[in-house]
Amino acid sequence: MGAILLLLAGCGGSKQAPATISIGLAGCQSGSDAQIGTSMLNGSRIAIDEWNAKGGVLGKQINPIILDDEGKSDKAVNVAQTLVDDGVVAVIGHFNSSCTIPASRVYNDAKVLEISPGSTNPQYTEQGFPDAFRICGRDDQQGPAAAAFLRDTLKLEKIAILDDKTSYGQGIADEVKKNFEAKGGTVVSYSGIGKDEHEFRTNIDVIKGSGAQALFWGGMYGQGGPLFVQLRQAGVTIPFISDDGAFDQAMIDTVGKDAANIYLTFGKDYHVMPGAADFIKKYNDTFHEAEGAYSVYGYDAANAILTAMQTAGTTDADKVSAVLKGQPFDTILGKIEFNAKGDVKESGYIIWTIKDGKFQVFGGNP
Amino acid sequence: MTADAAPVTSTITAILTDGVVKGAVYALVALGYTMVYGVLGMINFAHGEVFMIGMFACVYGIGVMSTAWGDHVVLNLLLGVAIAMVFSAAYGYANERIAYRRLRKAHVLAPLTSAIGVSTFLQYFIFLTVSKQNVDFPRYYSDWLTNGHVRFAGIDVTYLQVAIVGVTLALMAALFYLINATRLGIALRAVAQDQLMAGLVGIPVNKVIAFTFVLGSALAAVAGVMVAMYNDVLGFDAGYRVGLKAFTAAILGGIGNVPGAVLGAVILGVSEALTTYFYGSGWSDVTTFVVLMLVLLLRPRGLLGERVADKV
Repeated sequence: MGAILLLLAGCGGSKQAPATISIGLAGCQSGSDAQIGTSMLNGSRIAIDEWNAKGGVLGKQINPIILDDEGKSDKAVNVAQTLVDDGVVAVIGHFNSSCTIPASRVYNDAKVLEISPGSTNPQYTEQGFPDAFRICGRDDQQGPAAAAFLRDTLKLEKIAILDDKTSYGQGIADEVKKNFEAKGGTVVSYSGIGKDEHEFRTNIDVIKGSGAQALFWGGMYGQGGPLFVQLRQAGVTIPFISDDGAFDQAMIDTVGKDAANIYLTFGKDYHVMPGAADFIKKYNDTFHEAEGAYSVYGYDAANAILTAMQTAGTTDADKVSAVLKGQPFDTILGKIEFNAKGDVKESGYIIWTIKDGKFQVFGGNP
Repeated sequence: MTADAAPVTSTITAILTDGVVKGAVYALVALGYTMVYGVLGMINFAHGEVFMIGMFACVYGIGVMSTAWGDHVVLNLLLGVAIAMVFSAAYGYANERIAYRRLRKAHVLAPLTSAIGVSTFLQYFIFLTVSKQNVDFPRYYSDWLTNGHVRFAGIDVTYLQVAIVGVTLALMAALFYLINATRLGIALRAVAQDQLMAGLVGIPVNKVIAFTFVLGSALAAVAGVMVAMYNDVLGFDAGYRVGLKAFTAAILGGIGNVPGAVLGAVILGVSEALTTYFYGSGWSDVTTFVVLMLVLLLRPRGLLGERVADKV
């Protein structure tokens, strides 16, 4: 009997004080959004490696548990449950809004802190969860930026909108529609298409027939690239505008070097930020490839929560959350502050274009 | 930047044309479903995956050839199609030999379940060994087909679209001829009617069935290459959607019937296109299955599927 008690006590003891702190890294690493999702998590991995080299957080090494949600909602919930069962204290992820939103309910129930580097659908932080954060902007900030560009800069009256029917794609498309119409423009064609569809000829016929002066694509590069190619093949040269989900090297690879009249909304240019060069070099040396658009966000998200944990002196989600909301953080993207909802106070969406096979700030860096 | 809307008639013509092309793509895959069903009475759910393997075989084959002897567009493309056909046919044959042959006399659900298993297996096999992401078709090879136009009924039709419809019709005709006017066709029809009796009169039943799979898979490979060029992209899950649509088309036209598969596929393609025009593409899957249900309610064997004795 005594031996059993001792055994139980031993188990309880080791459970209360694990030798390492586990942090979940969740996002799509396979399927059509694999490239952007993997490069985002790779950014977080660099931050965790740096912290571990410096001695970890709260005196313990950080153990990253990296899981793939394949960009699917149901998989994301399973991944979330697995991470919670594995005893993670925080999760960096997910990438797709359609994954982050359902997974956030699991994390909230288990009191696990979540920070998404790339999910822009407003609903994620509108659910009232105290420990849910994001380090990117929201679609109700990104949509207006796109709409203002179309209406005020390009001075267009009629646009067509197509989205991929996901929380993310449809969310941003709705925002663009709302804001473009609020500015007195007309959306002459608005429809969605399944995320596994790669043939857009009939949609293009409709867009052509509607007299739209531009096409907004609400979705990812995996479909945005072929859509752009097929649009130009059909002889339609109107401006093509898309969102942060299309902001990946794979988009450039698909549309080709000669792509013209193509615009995207994304955050500010991190290349010109102090500290970015070191990170980019480290990323290239570690993974032997160029960083992705969301790598810096992944890196900053990891640094923000680890700093907050260190400051709070605990991994308790509510206490870390209070620190995150209570002070500014120095990141590659500049000084960031979280508001009460868990969103960053300044999103800074700007318009980018693809020129000479590269993403470039439209009109140059301010 | 002109803002004038195109005339409605030319939009409708364009929609109908693109719908027919979409249908022709479904048709090439549907032929494989319908042939296997005609001969064996089973639905080969792995057929969409064979189509997807054709896509990858062609793209990788072209890659190897352009490093081996340079980028001769037409030569490499044609050889790419041939490589795709060989690979797909090999997979089709292996599927039949490994997963279906021993289940031929089992309960009807056994080969069906096996086929679903093969489908999942092949999808994740390609996913894990070849590519976890979508791959762009090398446009250097497809640009002349996708950018070259002929004028037809007031709209521009690309060479590739002409090729897709032309190849589909030619292959359908060839298949129809093969089944109805050759010794091999007689053997096929005999096996379809009664495997035991066909065997007793000296028809090599196993070879005939294997041939059906090889032929259907090779057709799927041709479709795969053309779709990869047409969509500009391919991926491990590319077979699922087209496979589902093609299967629906085969049922719609009367499964087991060759012209029926093509007819069903074209109806499907056109109804999807018209739905996109009138209600938006979000509704196209809804129309597809409403059309299917209506046809099945009125003609339970499909549009051309009434003559059971003539199946194959």
